[in-house]
Amino acid sequence: MVLSQKLHEAFKGTVERITGHRTVSAFKEKGVLSVSEFVTAGDNLVSKCPTWSWESGEPSKRKPYLPSEKQYLITRNVPCLRRAAYLEEEYEAAGMEILLDNEDNDGWLATHGKPKDTSGEVENLPSIESLEISKNRDVKSVPSHVGVEDEDDIPDMADFEEADNIEIDPGTYLIAHEPDDDNILRTRTYDVSITYDKYYQTPRVWLTGYDESRMLLQAELVLEDVSQDHARKTVTIEDHPHLSGKHASVHPCRHGAVMKKIIDVLMSRGVEPEVDKYLFLFLKFVASVIPTIEYDYTMDFDLGSSSS
Amino acid sequence: MEGGSGKSILQFAPFQSSVDEGFWHRLSSLKLNKFGVDDSPVPITGFYAPCSQSQVSNHLTLLAESLPSDSSEESSVLAVSRGNRNRCFVPGIIYNTNTVEGFHALDKQGLLKAEAQKIWKDICSGKALEDSSVLSRFLLISFADLKKWSFHYWFAFPALVLDPPATLVNLRPASQCFSSEEAESVSAAFNEWRNSSLTADVPFFLVHIDSNSHATIKHLKDWETSQSADDGHKLLFGFYDPCHLPNHPGWPLRNLLALVCSRWDLKSVHFLCYRESRGWRNHGHVPNAVGWELNKGRRVPRIISLAKSMDPTRLAISAA
Repeated sequence: MVLSQKLHEAFKGTVERITGHRTVSAFKEKGVLSVSEFVTAGDNLVSKCPTWSWESGEPSKRKPYLPSEKQYLITRNVPCLRRAAYLEEEYEAAGMEILLDNEDNDGWLATHGKPKDTSGEVENLPSIESLEISKNRDVKSVPSHVGVEDEDDIPDMADFEEADNIEIDPGTYLIAHEPDDDNILRTRTYDVSITYDKYYQTPRVWLTGYDESRMLLQAELVLEDVSQDHARKTVTIEDHPHLSGKHASVHPCRHGAVMKKIIDVLMSRGVEPEVDKYLFLFLKFVASVIPTIEYDYTMDFDLGSSSS
Repeated sequence: MEGGSGKSILQFAPFQSSVDEGFWHRLSSLKLNKFGVDDSPVPITGFYAPCSQSQVSNHLTLLAESLPSDSSEESSVLAVSRGNRNRCFVPGIIYNTNTVEGFHALDKQGLLKAEAQKIWKDICSGKALEDSSVLSRFLLISFADLKKWSFHYWFAFPALVLDPPATLVNLRPASQCFSSEEAESVSAAFNEWRNSSLTADVPFFLVHIDSNSHATIKHLKDWETSQSADDGHKLLFGFYDPCHLPNHPGWPLRNLLALVCSRWDLKSVHFLCYRESRGWRNHGHVPNAVGWELNKGRRVPRIISLAKSMDPTRLAISAA
């Protein structure tokens, strides 16, 4: 599995190097984007959903075919209040379909393995994997962030509790009260980024998770926030093309096909999709993979002139 | 929200840090290839944005670009373009020690005082009116254990303490403070301010509303000239508030208060905490310094281990 992934990466890298990038639009025909269409769609996303911005990333990792200040899109500090793994168990326990099953969504999910069959209850049983994952949430004392596994080398924090000369001023500090339930633990945040995948000619979504004290979340735990139909299958842990470290990513191999279906559905209803709306459609589809990460992709954005 | 009675002390939600993995990668590379054993402080840049989600506050974020470039051919000046509305620049400084003992031996109160003094100096000299980002100046101490790829670090967000502390007169959503006409005009003015690359990342400002309910956002330095003869006008001090809590303003307000108090000696001021997607809130109210970041409620530094992504032997194993 890992080896085949590596081989594929190497193959993909070579193909990306020797082939030019797409210049002819095949948005409606194949659901894919050219580089310039990606930039157009990204500009539109940034202007309509201003929590998103373009970034240039590591200079050494810049792609020459993208403008240097528009290498990828990112929205930071997106709340994720509940674990998707948990959410699904709840729905399943309640005897409900977790996958969206109205007619609009059928086409989007069908490509990710099996379409949900309401009579096929066997398939709804949680897999061993999801059971394993969900165990973690009951063990409140398990530290979730990076840096806890080398416990032998890490000194006990208590040894260094600074009783020295640090001045405090409790009168004007708002000291967060200790959480009396586990809500705080669950409020993870995510940096969600979108890169352009030259090989598949589609956008690709990346997730960087942080725990409730804003420490980097282990990539494995990120999978708790991925729909269990996708965890470890379409969502994998890989090197980010513009950033340091390993990040979870929705593998783009079916993105073109899924987008094509969405576009077909729209066109069958007489809606002519415009290419600058591509990322809104795309993010709506991605929301089915990461249902509890509340990033912004709504078209109607109001700055909040009338506060509630 | 209903404000407390006239005498409750204004409490601020502390700033919180969030460090991108790329920051540690670049710090390691700088330490190995450029700084060596030189542990003199290095200026860095943090980024923040007004709160944009009702459930979580925004943080002061450090990215790889927060540090000077590690490649020698590129200039070490920050090459990041300004005007990104999600990235207000905040000047900071990092003290990266060579040993863990050195890290623990740092005179934390002294360092905090030194940074607070810079803020105070900028308030007194008027520099803070020209470039308001210096009001949120921050401090980071760290020890990078490059043998184990783990990083000990601690942030401080120095805040000048008012004595006596500011009291809260009233706290209300902006929609209740402004007439609907005013609210509309304020909203339009903010849209313009936030969308212009010249002002999108200016975190402190004035909100001027004339007697015709027409709002304009102005730079802090325009305070004197905004004291026009127009009797019906309102003037508010505003700032990008990273905090999401409905009843507390965020940390950046502290040093703005210090500026307002020391510079204009105002006794009661209207503030506007600018947050996106949740509207705004208003405060009325009438140097020592605090500000070390708490870690899970305790005054201890943090440690992050990146052995998984930085240790070549582990990388080799996972690549096999």
